[in-house]
Amino acid sequence: MYLYRCQDSLENIFTAVYRVYEDRRSREEVMLSLDDEPVLFAREILVQTDENRCRKVIRTLRSRFGGEGYYDLCLALASPDPAKAQAVYGTVASGLKRGCTGRHLFDDLADGDVNTAFRLARNAHRENCHLRGFTRFEESDQGVMYARIGPKNNLLPFLMPHFADRFPGEDFILYDDVRKLFGVHPANLPWYLVWEENLLSQQFKRSASEFDYQMLFKEFCKSISIEARQNAELQRGMLPLRFREYMTEFQ
Amino acid sequence: MEYLVPGEGMSLAEKLNILSGAAKHDVACTSSGVDRRGSDRPWGGRGQSRRNAPDGYGTSAAKPMGNCVPAGICHSFSGDGRCISLLKILMTNECIFDCKYCMNRCSNDIPRATFTPEEICTLTTEFYRRNYIEGLFLSSGIIKDPTFTMELLCRTIYLLRVKYRFNGYIHVKAIPGADAEVIRQAGFYADRMSVNLELPTAEGLHTLAPNKHRRTILTPMRHIQNGIEANRNELALYRHAPRFVTGGQSTQMIIGATGETDYQILNVSESLYQKFALKRVFYSAFVRVNDDKCLPVLPGGPPLLREHRLYQADWLLRFYGFKAQELLDEKRPFFNVMLDPKEDWAVRHLEEFPIEINRAPYEKLLRIPGVGVNSARRIVAARRSCQLTFADLKKIGVVLKRAVYFITCGGRMMVPVRLNEDYIVRGLTEKKERTMFGSDGMTYRQMSLFDDGIFQKEVTAGDRLQAAAGQL
Repeated sequence: MYLYRCQDSLENIFTAVYRVYEDRRSREEVMLSLDDEPVLFAREILVQTDENRCRKVIRTLRSRFGGEGYYDLCLALASPDPAKAQAVYGTVASGLKRGCTGRHLFDDLADGDVNTAFRLARNAHRENCHLRGFTRFEESDQGVMYARIGPKNNLLPFLMPHFADRFPGEDFILYDDVRKLFGVHPANLPWYLVWEENLLSQQFKRSASEFDYQMLFKEFCKSISIEARQNAELQRGMLPLRFREYMTEFQ
Repeated sequence: MEYLVPGEGMSLAEKLNILSGAAKHDVACTSSGVDRRGSDRPWGGRGQSRRNAPDGYGTSAAKPMGNCVPAGICHSFSGDGRCISLLKILMTNECIFDCKYCMNRCSNDIPRATFTPEEICTLTTEFYRRNYIEGLFLSSGIIKDPTFTMELLCRTIYLLRVKYRFNGYIHVKAIPGADAEVIRQAGFYADRMSVNLELPTAEGLHTLAPNKHRRTILTPMRHIQNGIEANRNELALYRHAPRFVTGGQSTQMIIGATGETDYQILNVSESLYQKFALKRVFYSAFVRVNDDKCLPVLPGGPPLLREHRLYQADWLLRFYGFKAQELLDEKRPFFNVMLDPKEDWAVRHLEEFPIEINRAPYEKLLRIPGVGVNSARRIVAARRSCQLTFADLKKIGVVLKRAVYFITCGGRMMVPVRLNEDYIVRGLTEKKERTMFGSDGMTYRQMSLFDDGIFQKEVTAGDRLQAAAGQL
């Protein structure tokens, strides 16, 4: 048994996948791990991120499984679950072996790794769908829109393209509160990610009309609800409490 | 366009309060069915189509904004648990009609307000920028006459698309009785249109909505359907032809205001889907907002369970290949309260079961209670590479609690089950009864020695002393 020790990043895990094939090891004798739990009778291999190898893996995944399959694998890797490395490797190995195309990557759900990867990807996808709706922007006095989110999965790279497409002419910043990561989109320019503490240090001032629109929306949310149908439980099911911390109408 | 603006001196907040409150009983608030990227700008923004815009709006300084996702996006959920996806408002709650069930009817004395088109556009774009909403849902009470009202709606969404460069979702109501040409015009700026059927039968409509007629409702619906079809042919020939109601049309019915049976309602929906090619039919449980002698009194609140069962059956019609006649008939015109429509169908057709998961065709899988469209697809995909077991089914997402009575895996049932109607119904409902009891504070529980409540009280200092002194 060979144990590949990875770090929690997409690049590192893809490098590990490349290393496995480079070392000509079969799926049965290989394990990818994100933690440093010791495993009996296993030879450990420490994986260093290598850009070149990672690119090659991405190219192969794209060409074999198509954009859709690759996107799902990336979603699975956005999950905080430490089992994701092994699950993604297992899925890739089984997919390549079966010679499947993108739509059939997750067909073999009776396989443990494929099932885990499918679950993680689905989970991240659902949170992504939630956050597309639940993210709330505020306008600063300089006209920059700013939003704060606290997702369980690392979703900023998936949310930015959506909002960049939606608001091409806006300067906006999306801040991941959990990972301290900024997504920055200057008007009519491509977006990028920043790890930067200093961005926060500047005081954020709301614009003059911002408060009015927040009040208008709060009032709207109240008046649109039908008293005879009150159902807080259903509301909680559809909109879990953890999102409300960041949402204007629940402040 | 000049018209009387009631509530002239009202603030925007007051107007929004009145006009969103007036629109809240409209249920068709989804943002689905349209796939449009931000770079597609059919109403101008960049490139050629801006030149066509009259009124000098082509040079407007507004930033182009918006896209649409096919599945739609829910932005929030209100206190009643319904999704807030669109800015759902009326243009005005002035109305010349006197529909008995409607809070905006002309015989009600309520505060009235009217938005100007500019106000609606500002609200929509500003809310949209903050990601509060997915777009606009615009309906209206009827001022002067239907055509005039429809013109106002059309004018508003035209402004929003062309001057404010809004590319998000727009759902607009077609006003029954309005001129066909105005409705057609509106269709080129809207993503979805709907005409409310209001009540499932013509007699019901006659008693509760004396100003509306079945004919005036179905005519615009037919116009829109024909428009969509014609546009589809146009688009096949000319890729850049203007698009007409890309998200399809929907309608809604009030449930429980008149005496229709579920069977009648379901038949109406089925024929609407087949004959008018509707995307959705919405059902709205009747809420008694007016005290009128024609309206039923519902002491148990709105018929929410009935509405729920109708939605379940609606899904069975659209995605599971069921027919209305299979689910209900003249002799049993109402849905079972305890079982959902699919379970109900299954226990009445036990001759079709058990179904072998590893063999049965997709259409058969869809008929098993506890197996949905997704699980059925996954089963078909997964069984290509291996023989599925019950553990695999659980992983795939099948609700075994329900499916267990109706399936075999590799020729075996999970537990010994008698294919007997009473036995299965008891099994299916047992759990539900318990949860229903739990919800109002009453539960079935095994009695225990510590059940008399005394042990739930806080222990006070006095109790401790007594216990130490042996005086308990």
